[in-house]
Amino acid sequence: MNIKRISFLILFLLIAFLSSCNKENSSNSNRVIIGISSDIESTNPLFAFTPNEGNISELLYLSLVQFDWDKQKGELIPKPMLAKDWYWNADSSSITLDLRNDVYWSDGVQFTANDVVYSFDVYSDPVVQSSLYGTFKNFYTDTSLHIDINKTFTVESPFKIKINFKKGSIPNFVDIGLPLIPEHVFKNVDRKNLITTEKDMKPVTDGPFYLSNWEKNQAIILKANKKSFLHKSSGLSELIFKVVPDYSSRIMQLKRDEIDLTEDSEAGDVAQLKNISSLIISPIDGRDYDYAAWNNIDPDAYKRNKIIPNKIFGDEKVREAFTYAINRQEIVHDFLNDLGQVASGPVSPIFKNALDTLLKPLPYDPDEAKRILAADGWKDVNQDGVLEKGNQKLSFTFYIPSGNPRRKYAATIIKNDLRKIGVDIKIESLEPQVFFQRMFAHELNAWMAGWSVPIPLDLKSPWYSDLKNTPLNVYGYQSKAADALLNLIGHEKSSQQRDQLYKKFQELIYKDNPVTFLYWVDNIVAYNRRIKNISITPLGAVEHCWNWSITK
Amino acid sequence: MTSKLKIWHLIIAICIALLLLNYGLVIKTYSLIIIYLQIIPENYPRAISQIGFSLIDSCASAILVVIIPIFVYLLRKRVKIFYVSLNFTSAAIIILISFFIFAPFAASSNPNFQQNISETKLLPPFSSVEVIHLKRNEKPEQNLIGKFFNLKKEVVKNTFDESIIFADSIVITKVATIYQKGNQVILPKDTILFSYGKPVITKKLFLFGTDEFGRDIYSRLVYGARISLFVGLGSVTISLLLGLSLGFLAGYPGGFVDTIISRVTDMFLSFPAIFLVILILALFGNSLFTVIIVLGFSGWMSLFKIVRSEVVSLKQKDFFISAKMSGLSGYRLLTKEVLPLILAPVVVNLVFQYGSVILAEAALSFLGLGTGSSYPSWGAMIEAGQNYLTEAWWMIVPPGLCLFVTLYAANNLGKEINLIFNPRLKG
Amino acid sequence: MFLLISFLFFLLRISPGDPSLKFISPDLSPKLAAKIRDSFNLNSSLVDQYKAFLINLVRGNFGISYTYRMPVLSVIKDYLPFTLIFSSISFLIQIIAGFFLALFSVKKINGAFDKTISKLSLIAYAIPSFVLGVSLILVFSSALNLFPSSGLSSFDFSSFSFFQRLSDYAFHLVLPLITLSLSGVAVYYKYLRENLEDVYNKTFVLNLRAHGFTEKEITRKHVIPNAINPLISVAGVELGILFGGALVTEVIFGLPGMGRLTVNAILSRDYPLVIGCTFISGVLVILSNLAADLIKVRVDKRLLKSTLN
Repeated sequence: MNIKRISFLILFLLIAFLSSCNKENSSNSNRVIIGISSDIESTNPLFAFTPNEGNISELLYLSLVQFDWDKQKGELIPKPMLAKDWYWNADSSSITLDLRNDVYWSDGVQFTANDVVYSFDVYSDPVVQSSLYGTFKNFYTDTSLHIDINKTFTVESPFKIKINFKKGSIPNFVDIGLPLIPEHVFKNVDRKNLITTEKDMKPVTDGPFYLSNWEKNQAIILKANKKSFLHKSSGLSELIFKVVPDYSSRIMQLKRDEIDLTEDSEAGDVAQLKNISSLIISPIDGRDYDYAAWNNIDPDAYKRNKIIPNKIFGDEKVREAFTYAINRQEIVHDFLNDLGQVASGPVSPIFKNALDTLLKPLPYDPDEAKRILAADGWKDVNQDGVLEKGNQKLSFTFYIPSGNPRRKYAATIIKNDLRKIGVDIKIESLEPQVFFQRMFAHELNAWMAGWSVPIPLDLKSPWYSDLKNTPLNVYGYQSKAADALLNLIGHEKSSQQRDQLYKKFQELIYKDNPVTFLYWVDNIVAYNRRIKNISITPLGAVEHCWNWSITK
Repeated sequence: MTSKLKIWHLIIAICIALLLLNYGLVIKTYSLIIIYLQIIPENYPRAISQIGFSLIDSCASAILVVIIPIFVYLLRKRVKIFYVSLNFTSAAIIILISFFIFAPFAASSNPNFQQNISETKLLPPFSSVEVIHLKRNEKPEQNLIGKFFNLKKEVVKNTFDESIIFADSIVITKVATIYQKGNQVILPKDTILFSYGKPVITKKLFLFGTDEFGRDIYSRLVYGARISLFVGLGSVTISLLLGLSLGFLAGYPGGFVDTIISRVTDMFLSFPAIFLVILILALFGNSLFTVIIVLGFSGWMSLFKIVRSEVVSLKQKDFFISAKMSGLSGYRLLTKEVLPLILAPVVVNLVFQYGSVILAEAALSFLGLGTGSSYPSWGAMIEAGQNYLTEAWWMIVPPGLCLFVTLYAANNLGKEINLIFNPRLKG
Repeated sequence: MFLLISFLFFLLRISPGDPSLKFISPDLSPKLAAKIRDSFNLNSSLVDQYKAFLINLVRGNFGISYTYRMPVLSVIKDYLPFTLIFSSISFLIQIIAGFFLALFSVKKINGAFDKTISKLSLIAYAIPSFVLGVSLILVFSSALNLFPSSGLSSFDFSSFSFFQRLSDYAFHLVLPLITLSLSGVAVYYKYLRENLEDVYNKTFVLNLRAHGFTEKEITRKHVIPNAINPLISVAGVELGILFGGALVTEVIFGLPGMGRLTVNAILSRDYPLVIGCTFISGVLVILSNLAADLIKVRVDKRLLKSTLN
């Protein structure tokens, strides 16, 4: 027995083995591979909590309407999908929809109006805990926010349905644009257990793609549903969502053509990605912003159900000074590589008509910040480098959620910038679960978080003063004037009038600086040139991917 | 294997080098101390309120950097350890310890110093940028306190400095145009500091390059040594106390107590410690002290086993029984009879334990569960560097090397101590 | 074991952090949020929660994972096989490589091979696995583009034949295996080298030599079993720890193993999953220790026999 010889043989075999598998068919003709950061937990739209889950479930399950994005106006345009046609009644309190009669679920059962009724019923049922539970505000609901089926839906024929909205509400196509699920599959399942039993059921779908294989933590493989009315012969035959948790490996695989598309690339990588001829980099104005929050109300008093101004940040002068002192341009330039813009208020630049372009973000001016603070009575009496006003020191802990490189970067810059004007600021990063819990409890004094502005624009939830019913107003912004404006917006039917009110609201926020708006982050979509007919909109890159085709 | 260089040579060389490189700073620090001593009788509460960690740090380093070499030189004959020959291990340990003590002098700037990020970020090792000095609008202060503040500003390194600008170059016409990586900044001429009709420009060298905030990696390494040593020493102490007391508690009376404590130890041993550590840190938040305590609590088991078995075997020995008969209390028994005997295995175990604690701290920082203090730790530096893997290898390699050298030195030290205590192992 | 689990349960409950947050869209009013929280059984008293928890444990039911919304065991089922295979391979590599290296270097103590390997093993032992992993990616993946930097299989995996699949796995696991195994190789090498050297110097070896046994026979039949024996219990403990998941390696290379599962569960406050994971790794630790003990007895018997002969 010659150990040496055997081990050499093994080594040789191993090497031969390894080299044999060096990339062969790297690009299967009609397939697109999308890199995503984490595995989904469900393909069912009922439980689509994350954006990826939303994207995938929307490809499997169709909605009544689909949306396009109007770039000029910054608005949604509804387009037919399961509903061929629709008409509103005179006062827009109900809509009648003509449904397609050529849509079949993957088990052969035809799609009908009953599926519509059933879907709304299940989505709004509190025992189901669906991802959209609680969002049906324009419908007739009972106290548990469950939609009143009888009052809301009138099934006129299997392919014609009328939806009646709540009196006085301003219904929107978004209200009915949710992916519908098959009644005949789920009706025998106990709704309480739907969330768990759904896992073991083979999905019955009606979308342009069907689920072919789902390898946990590796890939979700969709194949074209040739029977779908959305299917095109030139379209994709296969769409794969590949799970690549590590960001830098995702980029690496993109460069090597191992994946074809990925969203949310970091700005720092754009330069090197642009050098790669096979890739197209398409940054679009984002609707995500980060903000440095200064709790407007006092956390201790809030615990005792009292709302009084915060000891430091209740003063709008302090907040204004901080906004002057933070070099937001530097963050945009050095971390986002200018793929983003300094924010002036809560309305994203994608909403062209609603955005008040006259309001320019305050410039970086530490001297002005110092002047404002001095005029407001903040002085460094004992010369320890930290300002005081009476007994109150300008000293606080600034919390950030851990695991977000951009916020960590921004926080480091904020810390240094605020120290320059005599603020004693300490950064503490909290594990996201703990962070958000404390943030929603109004326990933190100062922190950084982000907000993704929904489409259509909704300013009431994050800015209305009533903290009990608008928990998203985490910074406790209190303003009677703003409340009045938000109420007006909620009842305004004309979109032009609404845009004017939005602008007024932005002026108010601009003056009050309830938080320091930092920057809007571009969504950087990088994809392979092979993909044609792709349109990148604020709705996301994967939207309408049944229209994509591949050049060979 | 005896080299002519001894440990005391290196210690003195380091101190002298630090003194020569930072003579200006050292002198300023001493005058700061003198002024401060004058202030104390004059304005006591004011003086007390000025004491901060970084001030004490700077002053202590300034004093030690002079005192230590003198002491080492005087005592070199009497203290045997100074005469140990210099090898890789001892050199690494001494350099590490001097980083720990003299961090304010050894580092060239505050580890968190950042300025003109677009100019300085991600510079490769050995690059340098021009430093343009601006005019300061401070008047020379006459009274002591004023002088004290001015000096303090120069001695205690801050994370920002408003009197300088980093740039590629500067062109002076009617205005001063400053070029920074494609950016141009135009400043009025009178803001720039001139000397003999020329703008004052110095150079700043980044020995190991800079990170994504333009912070000096070398300075961060120096301060990172502090975190590593501090965490290591702290948790090893905790492990030592726990292991000793529990071991004695279990081994001395024996019986029921012994069984319980031994079972619990086995339980802890059977569970991968890293999970416990991560669990506790995730649940209760991570700060420097929780990290130290948790790591300390996760490492006492091997010490416990050593102590317990020694105590159990000691109990049978005659001298121990006689000592017990003579009425020594449990505590005195522990310190007088047990400790000297188990010193050797315990010290060796501690040194190895120290290495694994440093490694654990770095791994935790790497996973994002580190000390969370404002000072950098080596593990956290590597973690940060991962995002810039393809652009800036120098963000990973230096801290990785430091970590490696420290672990290597700790392992070697453990071995050498083992050899000293058990010469027969030499074979 | 039981103690450990109870300890964990209380540790989890007294810590801050609210798991219900993940299931409630922020638009919800606080009253309804409380209702959902109720359905997760988080509002009942601690004692009741603990009782329910223990009953489930006896039945082998760890509850339903909050994040995956699946029974905990079926979540673990997806991750465990990988960890078992991955750590077993790494374990074999460590033992085999350590063993042969030690054998070769003992053949000529203080020879060139022995000296270099001894030095290298010291270095390998001192390199932290994450430094090694990141450096390997830097060199082999970024710079040389030789090996994939993460994941377990290629995207067109499903179209592969069996051998292609196997080689694809192997290809993806080269760097992770090196990262995970290197320090272990060094440990076993060190132990074995010392033990082998010790045994070679024992008098009975000299006796055997005097009796005219060939060097090969002596090594195979007498020295190796003697040298390996003390190592077995060490190996048992090591294997148990490996089964717990090669945390750092899994994170660096994005591998679907128990280590990452556990850490993610901890970070998202998925109580049932955390307890399930720790329970499973605890069981594995105990099993591998047991296995080590059994093997030890066997080796001992053989020793017994060989001396009788």
